[in-house]
Amino acid sequence: MTTKEIPVGRYLLDPALDDRLRAFNGVAPREGDTAHPVFAFVMALGGMGLSIRELSDQLGLAFGDGPVLAGCVLEYDSTLRVGARYDVAAEVAELLRKPSRRFGAADHLHLHIRLSQAGRACAEARLHIIFPAPEHEQA
Amino acid sequence: MTSPPAPSAESMRFWCEIMRDDNAIHLDPAAAEAAGFGPNRVNPGPANLALLMDAILAAEPGAAFSRIEARFLGNVFEADTLEVRTGPDGAALYRADAPDEPVLEAKFTMRRNEQ
Repeated sequence: MTTKEIPVGRYLLDPALDDRLRAFNGVAPREGDTAHPVFAFVMALGGMGLSIRELSDQLGLAFGDGPVLAGCVLEYDSTLRVGARYDVAAEVAELLRKPSRRFGAADHLHLHIRLSQAGRACAEARLHIIFPAPEHEQA
Repeated sequence: MTSPPAPSAESMRFWCEIMRDDNAIHLDPAAAEAAGFGPNRVNPGPANLALLMDAILAAEPGAAFSRIEARFLGNVFEADTLEVRTGPDGAALYRADAPDEPVLEAKFTMRRNEQ
């Protein structure tokens, strides 16, 4: 079973999350309400209407075999703000199976995720995630 | 060059929670090993990217990103000693025990005069 339709999700950018992330990274506290820019990625993945595990299961991808992130593009229309709630609209842009030296075969998932607030575009994320092909489907 | 904090089990758990990503290679050393990554937890990719973002913003206070393009070339593991190197075209992350092999490279486009 496959689906390219992912429900729109939401993500509340809790200031405490931003505080904790900065503390783990050993950087200075934020200025004003400007969130760490990595939250474009965090909210894209974490705010989808399905978790990455749920989406993987729906697409028949081997989430349990340890997928890895291959690349990403993040684009910002505005500064991300703590305390704000973002709408997260995601779609499967592409899903391809390719030969893999490491796995024999691998599934390449490309996600396109848009973050908005009150209808205003805030950021976009394009994620490329590689999954080992399920063993029974490998060549 | 800067040396960010080493990833910990606690930090990886945090990243997994905020991204709703329970990929076991980030949470369970046995799962990381079973997946072929060795005996230590694997740091989530965006956690590594955040370190590069920090280095770029530290060098340009008040700046903001317009676009970031990143390639994840290798893995960072729990307790790794890391190095961030920045240049005119972007930044890269290295494990101290493999100083010639970037695990992450990123290009950054900045927005000026943030309003």
